[in-house]
Amino acid sequence: MSDEPHGEARVNVETDIVTVRKTVRDAATQLGFGITDVTRIVTAASELARNVFLYAGSGVMRWHSLDTGGSIGIELMFEDSGPGIADVEQAMQEGYSTSGGLGMGLPGANRLMDEMEIRSEVGRGTTVTVRKWRRR
Amino acid sequence: MPDESISVIKVRDLLMVTMPADPADATVSALQEKVLQAMERYGAKGLVLDISAVETLDSFFARTLAETAQMVAVMGGRTVIAGMRPSVAITATQLGLALGSVITALDVDRALDILTDARQRRRLQ
Repeated sequence: MSDEPHGEARVNVETDIVTVRKTVRDAATQLGFGITDVTRIVTAASELARNVFLYAGSGVMRWHSLDTGGSIGIELMFEDSGPGIADVEQAMQEGYSTSGGLGMGLPGANRLMDEMEIRSEVGRGTTVTVRKWRRR
Repeated sequence: MPDESISVIKVRDLLMVTMPADPADATVSALQEKVLQAMERYGAKGLVLDISAVETLDSFFARTLAETAQMVAVMGGRTVIAGMRPSVAITATQLGLALGSVITALDVDRALDILTDARQRRRLQ
């Protein structure tokens, strides 16, 4: 990785969700996102960090800045070695949940961010990557 | 873990709670129980949840607030959620959060107006 701004926060206990939110809030603010976009990014991060905690028990959130020459953005990657998602398409559906939650985490985070990718292997783990670009 | 504790304050026959900016899940859950216990202890008729300091309202937090309002209703009280920031309102709506039938107000002043007006009207009927 180059020397672009980056960082990480581990998710092992429930209060680590708060640490993820703080880390992401500081990062997005530093990268110049406005208050509404910062709130969107932090809220999406909170949903994804809670998913890591609920389904996998532990994992890590890594962030780094994006700079394509024309656009500045942020990428967040949530990685766990949990049970994985058998049917990603189903998990993306509004209201679908296997944890007794509202089933809002993945589809909600998807709506708040610009891009989202899910890589998951049953028994191996899940990586959710989201990106948000700064509007000029 | 930071020991966050939220105060439930009794004012006349209402309860007032100010939510911190970024509470942990356990703090939000503990609040629910505390509010219901205070409802019983003080015979409160209403609850104002001041969320003007709240920076992030995710699905867990919102669900717990809506649930608390429902529980307070079952105990005969009314809940008004006051002071949601514009950035939080935009994000919550896009996330798909429905606060259900919870009454909201721009600030605590208006929340108190709603709760006391409703009672005055009931008395006149």
